[in-house]
Amino acid sequence: MFHWLEKNPFFFASAISIVISFAGLIEIVPNFSKAARPLVDLKPRTVLELAGKEVYKKDNCIACHSQLIRPFKSETDRYGKYSLSGEYAYDRPFLWGSKRTGPDLHRVGNYRTTDWHEAHMKNPSKIVPGSIMPAYKHQFTNVADIETAYAEAVTVRNVFHTPYGPEFKSGKAAWEAHKPKVLADAKKIADEMQDEGVKKMVAEGKVPEIVALIAYLNSLK
Amino acid sequence: MQSNAALEYDYSLAKKFTFLTILFGFLGMLVGTIIAAQLAFPELNYLLGEYGTFSRLRPIHTNTVIFGFTVSGVFATWFYFGQRVLKVSIAESRFLMVLGNIQFWLYFLGALAATVSLLLGISASKEYAQYEWPFDIVVVLVWVLWGINMMGLIGIRREKALYISVWYYLACFLGIAMLYLFNNMEIPTYFTSGGLGNPLHSVSMYAGTNDALVQWWYGHNAVAFGFTVPIVGMIYYFLPKESGQAIYSYKLSLLSFWGLMFVYLWAGSHHLLWSTVPDWMQTMGSAFSVVLILPSWGSAINMLLTMKGEWNQLTENPLIKFMVLASTFYMLSTIEGPIQAIKSVNAIAHFTDWIPGHVHDGVLGWVAFMIMASIFHMAPRMFKKELYSKKLMEAQFWLQTTAVVLYFTSMWIAGITQGMMWRAVDEYGNLMYSFIDTVTVLHPYYTIRALSGVMYLTGFIMFAYNIYKTMVAGKELSQEPQFRTPMA
Amino acid sequence: MNSLMIKTLGFAALLILATIFVVTKLNIDIFADSVNALTIAGAIAVATITSAVAAKYINQMKTDTTSGKLAEENWDGIGEYENELPSGWAYTFLAVFMWSMWYGLAGYPIWAYSQIGEYNEEVLAYNAKFEETHKNASEETLKEMGESIFLVQCQQCHGATGDGLSGRAQDLTKHYSKEEVLNIIKNGQNALGAFPGGMPAGMASGADAEAIAAYVAGGFKGEKPAAFAACASCHGADGKGTPMVAPSIHGYDIHNVVSKGKKGKIGRMPAFGSMITPVQEKALTAYVQSLAK
Ligand code: HEC
Ligand code: HEC
Ligand code: HEC
Ligand code: HEM
Ligand code: HEM
Ligand SMILES: [Ca+2]
Ligand SMILES: [Ca+2]
Ligand SMILES: [Cu+2]
Repeated sequence: MFHWLEKNPFFFASAISIVISFAGLIEIVPNFSKAARPLVDLKPRTVLELAGKEVYKKDNCIACHSQLIRPFKSETDRYGKYSLSGEYAYDRPFLWGSKRTGPDLHRVGNYRTTDWHEAHMKNPSKIVPGSIMPAYKHQFTNVADIETAYAEAVTVRNVFHTPYGPEFKSGKAAWEAHKPKVLADAKKIADEMQDEGVKKMVAEGKVPEIVALIAYLNSLK
Repeated sequence: MQSNAALEYDYSLAKKFTFLTILFGFLGMLVGTIIAAQLAFPELNYLLGEYGTFSRLRPIHTNTVIFGFTVSGVFATWFYFGQRVLKVSIAESRFLMVLGNIQFWLYFLGALAATVSLLLGISASKEYAQYEWPFDIVVVLVWVLWGINMMGLIGIRREKALYISVWYYLACFLGIAMLYLFNNMEIPTYFTSGGLGNPLHSVSMYAGTNDALVQWWYGHNAVAFGFTVPIVGMIYYFLPKESGQAIYSYKLSLLSFWGLMFVYLWAGSHHLLWSTVPDWMQTMGSAFSVVLILPSWGSAINMLLTMKGEWNQLTENPLIKFMVLASTFYMLSTIEGPIQAIKSVNAIAHFTDWIPGHVHDGVLGWVAFMIMASIFHMAPRMFKKELYSKKLMEAQFWLQTTAVVLYFTSMWIAGITQGMMWRAVDEYGNLMYSFIDTVTVLHPYYTIRALSGVMYLTGFIMFAYNIYKTMVAGKELSQEPQFRTPMA
Repeated sequence: MNSLMIKTLGFAALLILATIFVVTKLNIDIFADSVNALTIAGAIAVATITSAVAAKYINQMKTDTTSGKLAEENWDGIGEYENELPSGWAYTFLAVFMWSMWYGLAGYPIWAYSQIGEYNEEVLAYNAKFEETHKNASEETLKEMGESIFLVQCQQCHGATGDGLSGRAQDLTKHYSKEEVLNIIKNGQNALGAFPGGMPAGMASGADAEAIAAYVAGGFKGEKPAAFAACASCHGADGKGTPMVAPSIHGYDIHNVVSKGKKGKIGRMPAFGSMITPVQEKALTAYVQSLAK
């Protein structure tokens, strides 16, 4: 039987395809609708926070940081309550990570603050002696792409019905209408910061990457 | 049509992909060595401004060694032995030749562009699937071109039955195609928001726990169908061919192959143990990981048994050494992985350096060893020259073997130590160590790993030099060697 | 046993011993935690099984010879024997496969295992025991305990010695400075999350304010200035605070700041909420109070 198969590439390839498809169908599909359900009071991220998530992706913090607190006492003591599936329901992509060169960040918003992040991101080893985390000085001068973040909010609203309000509409006009809100959020963060350059940029209507990133980190709770 | 006259095979594509294998291998390992050094000496993060941080470079390392080095190695070996075990020259079909060349250029340029995109921080941030959607399209095109080429060559073959290596390469093609497509389903935001923002940006089709499931079903099996399946295919061709020994057991080949195909896919959830995916899936992932030892070891044992009675070949031919050691490292990583997949062990191992340790006994000791051995075997036949230096090969072998051992032993100790420190409690029952304590304690191991990187990279440069010298200064061969590769 | 086997197993043993050595030197008890013990057992399995089996087969290259019936086909000169499966491998495969089927279909469902269930049971039991054991802990014990909690949770901002990392956070090694107190008297404060009304501005001025500030910053030593009465109405005659009305200003009031946070002049102190348990808070109080003496 097998010799026959080995002489018929078409059936051979089909057999492989069938054998390797099983697992995906049985393991992944049944859970799909259940795992997607959000916690009752879960709110999607603001545009500023989404822009911060893009900075997190751009500088690839996931290389060193996880966002998944496992149900062990040692982890809940260190980081807070263990993570729940429903908390991630709006995370596209998920950012659990697979390596903790640095600590978990899933609830870092609970125990770190804007001013601390500012100092830490500028020079980690000054704040935490012995830290091997790189300094992200460029985030203080690079401008965050808030328009793309808005586009993402509109997309997930249109396609996946993520509960953003009706004002999240497509097109330039709707974006221009929403933009002041993003800048206001940014100003709140910048007010708690010290860097003069950052304050100046925000006053000029630009959002430095660090401001968006801190908004995102503060939202991790 | 069955003629006994030796066929003239066309190696032009195999040669082109061999060059890429060496190029991407060098770049990938160079970056690997740099990021290893950065964890030991963080000042090295600032050599290239925002483009030189550990976090930007890490995906460049992984993508270059996977989609650059390993995949070119798979293409190069396919365009070499595919013709030989199917008994047909690719040059017999102009169509396949043209297709192969399009594949080569699209792949080369696509890989360069994708690397630049990662350097700029354009990333979807899913591991081993960082490329944004336009690069995904290039990847898919290249893959489809390769698939057509493979099917085409199989279509015009003279050898009726498919050789074992071809089974594995077919599986590699089909598996990666399926996985890559599903995991990279994403929606470009520009088109769904009335033209706002960056056209390269996209959002994943899946969210949260679902995204995690799809990602690790992909991630685990990308390892399976990228680092395991084609490499097993390689050893099934190059070891018997180089040694002149017949494969020990057809039955063992058969059972290992179908066993691997069936079991591998189930194990993906071992990357999600203790996470928010349901307990029963985690259990399946754990249990099937343990089962997976057997089909994996089946192939390795088959290879070792093929060399039964051939001790002198092992001691005299560095190529055989590479391949026998590769089988052994394959055995190591395919028992280490399953043990790490046991939930209690994973509670420690996950998130620590023990995982990169496991990864690199696989990729350095198995994948890279096999790819280099394959190129050593192919070079004299493609260039019709004797290998330039056996002495250099021997030196390279010992240097790199030491490097792999240093890499995995240091990361094994580092990982277990760190994992246990995270859990440790003091006499009162409170956490014993602050996070930073668990970082500074790793410095010596990170230093050893960086050193091992330098050694392995040096070995790779010796390899590249040996191949280069073979091409330009090797002794001409009047006739293709049947088995053992001639070397000076 | 031949020399190859001895060498590979020797290497495995060395690796395991090195691992155990490093871990033990860090004061970690491998056997007190079943996860640690199982991990070491797993590591031993990986190292010894791989070494032994690989050495066994590689050894056969020396001692055995090839044999068997060749299949008819060959590919590019590669032949194939029709040997039977190695029986050890075949039986293990069968056994492990059956085990996994049993485990998945019977063992696991019968145990009805749930990782969150396990966590809840463990932690509840643990916490009850922890609070019970340390209910009447001595000041010394609390201080030691507090120090290690401080190093895990607080040192990132306040520094390992509590000095506030040159102005990043409150310098806990000192009481409030005179300037700080003067400032608060002049401007009032509404920074702690615990008192919605905050403290009004201008509670005292001139020499009175100077005297109060010196007294408070000095740690309530010496003679109490008469003007302190303005403060005592809220903070109590001894400055140790009045519940629901005003915090203690006699040393740092850990409870409010740790549970509710504080947004002050230096920056923001995060609220740890329930992450710090009552006993841990007591311990932290003891430790932090000891810093400023
Ligand atoms: C090379 C690894 C590495 C990278 C990359 C990295 N970090 Fe870190 N991170 C660390 C380490 C190690 C620590 C612990 C020491 C410290 O606090 O600096 C840390 C700590 C932190 C903390 C404090 C968390 C806590 O609980 O104390 C935050 C927040 C943080 N990092 C954010 C980031 C962000 C955001 C990025 C990406 C822009 C990033 N890190 C990139 C290694 C890294
Ligand atoms: C009406 C009640 C009231 C009076 C009178 C009052 N305080 Fe307060 N005080 C408060 C409250 C409430 C707070 C906490 C404010 C907050 O939330 O930050 C406070 C905070 C303080 C703090 C800062 C404590 C900390 O942990 O941040 C100091 C120091 C202080 N008071 C000193 C004084 C002095 C000195 C006087 C007398 C001149 C005085 N207070 C009078 C209510 C009062
Ligand atoms: C993210 C940084 C951060 C962490 C973590 C932190 N603190 Fe603070 N803490 C601060 C800052 C900033 C202040 C100063 C607030 C101000 O401006 O008055 C402060 C102030 C304090 C004060 C003085 C409050 C007062 O009444 O004036 C105490 C006491 C204190 N922290 C204790 C702790 C303890 C105990 C922990 C750990 C459980 C801790 N802190 C963790 C940042 C932090
Ligand atoms: C029987 C076969 C194998 C099993 C069961 C297995 C199992 C595992 C497990 C449990 C993890 C750790 C997941 C975690 O906790 O983070 C892991 C990670 C990994 N393994 Fe394996 N492994 C096997 C073989 C291999 C081989 C042969 C290679 C490569 C040549 C390999 C490459 C990797 C990689 C790259 C990762 C890292 C994934 C990540 O980024 O997190 N594995 N494997
Ligand atoms: C010179 C040799 C190499 C060195 C020094 C090296 C170093 C590194 C380092 C430092 C990391 C990051 C680990 C971490 O984040 O803690 C890494 C990750 C990785 N490397 Fe290498 N590497 C080398 C060669 C290779 C090769 C040849 C391959 C594949 C063929 C490879 C595949 C990977 C993979 C898959 C990961 C991700 C592992 C994970 O996420 O768990 N590496 N490497
Ligand atoms: Ca990883
Ligand atoms: Ca992608
Ligand atoms: Cu896996």
